[in-house]
Amino acid sequence: MDLYQWLLALHVTGAFLLMGGGVIAAILNLTALGRERPSEIVLLFGLIRVAVASILIGSLLALLFGLWLVHEAGYGYGDGWVVTALVLFVLGNAMGGAGGRRDERTAVFARELAAAGDAPSEELRARVHDPVSLALSYGSGLILIAILALMIWKPGA
Amino acid sequence: MLALIRPDGWNLPLFLHVFGAIVVFGATATLAVTGFASRRNDAHNALLARTIARAFILGVLPSWILMRIGAEWIRGKEFPSGADEPGWIGVGYVVSDGTAVLLIVTGILAGLSARRGRVMLAVPILATICVLGYAVAWFAMSGKP
Repeated sequence: MDLYQWLLALHVTGAFLLMGGGVIAAILNLTALGRERPSEIVLLFGLIRVAVASILIGSLLALLFGLWLVHEAGYGYGDGWVVTALVLFVLGNAMGGAGGRRDERTAVFARELAAAGDAPSEELRARVHDPVSLALSYGSGLILIAILALMIWKPGA
Repeated sequence: MLALIRPDGWNLPLFLHVFGAIVVFGATATLAVTGFASRRNDAHNALLARTIARAFILGVLPSWILMRIGAEWIRGKEFPSGADEPGWIGVGYVVSDGTAVLLIVTGILAGLSARRGRVMLAVPILATICVLGYAVAWFAMSGKP
C-alpha cells in the first residue's frame, strides 16, 4: 500500500468510528426515550459513554488523515467541498457536544433519583425528551451524513 | 491520481454501500456493548436483552441489506463483466457472507435472550467477531492493497 492508500484507509477508519459511535448513541438514546425508571436511564446514558469514546477517536482520525489526504491527493484546502465539509464538521461536533453535555446533566439527575428510591419522575421524563437536546444530538448526526455525501460526491472537484 | 477519478453514476451506490456498512458496524457494536454490559447488570438484564433484539431487527438487518444492495450495485458498475476483480472485492465478500452467517445465529440468540429476559453470552461475543470482521473489510476496501 502506498501513502495515499494508507491515508484513505485510516481516514475511513475514523469515519466508521465517528459515525458508528453515533449509531450506538442513537440506538441507546431511542431506547432511553421509552423508559421511565431512573436507574434504566442511568444505565443507558452510561453506555453512551462507549459511543462517545468512539466518536472522539473517530473525529480525530477522520480530521487528521482527511486534511493530510487533501494535500496528498492534490486537492486544495480552499476547495468548496473541503471548506464546506470542515465547517459542517465543526458545527456537527459543537452540536453533538452541546447535546451530550445536556444529556450528562440528565444522567446526573437520574442517578440522584435512582439513589433516592428509583421512582419514575415527570421532570426526568421531560429532560430525557428535551427537544433541544434531541435536536442537537440528532442534528449533529444528520450533519455527519451530509459530510459523508460530500466526501463521496465532492461537488466542484 | 487515477484512483480519485470516479464517474458520477457510481456515487449513489457507493454512498448507499458505505452508509449501510457504517450503520451495520454501529448497530452490531451496540449488540456487543449492550451484551457485555448485561454481564454486570442483573437488575436490567431483561431491558438490555430487549434492546439487543430491537437493535438487531431495526438496525442490523436493514442496514446489512442496504450495504449489500449498494455493494452489488457499485460492483456491477465498476466491474460489469465480473472479470479481473481485484482481491479487495473478495475480502468484502468473505467478510459480508461470513458475518451474515454469524449475524443470523446472533439474531436467533438475541430473540431467545429477549424471550428469556437474559442476554446469552454468545450474543456479544459473536457481535464482537462481526465488528472485527467489518474493520478488516473497511480497511481492505478503502486502502485497496
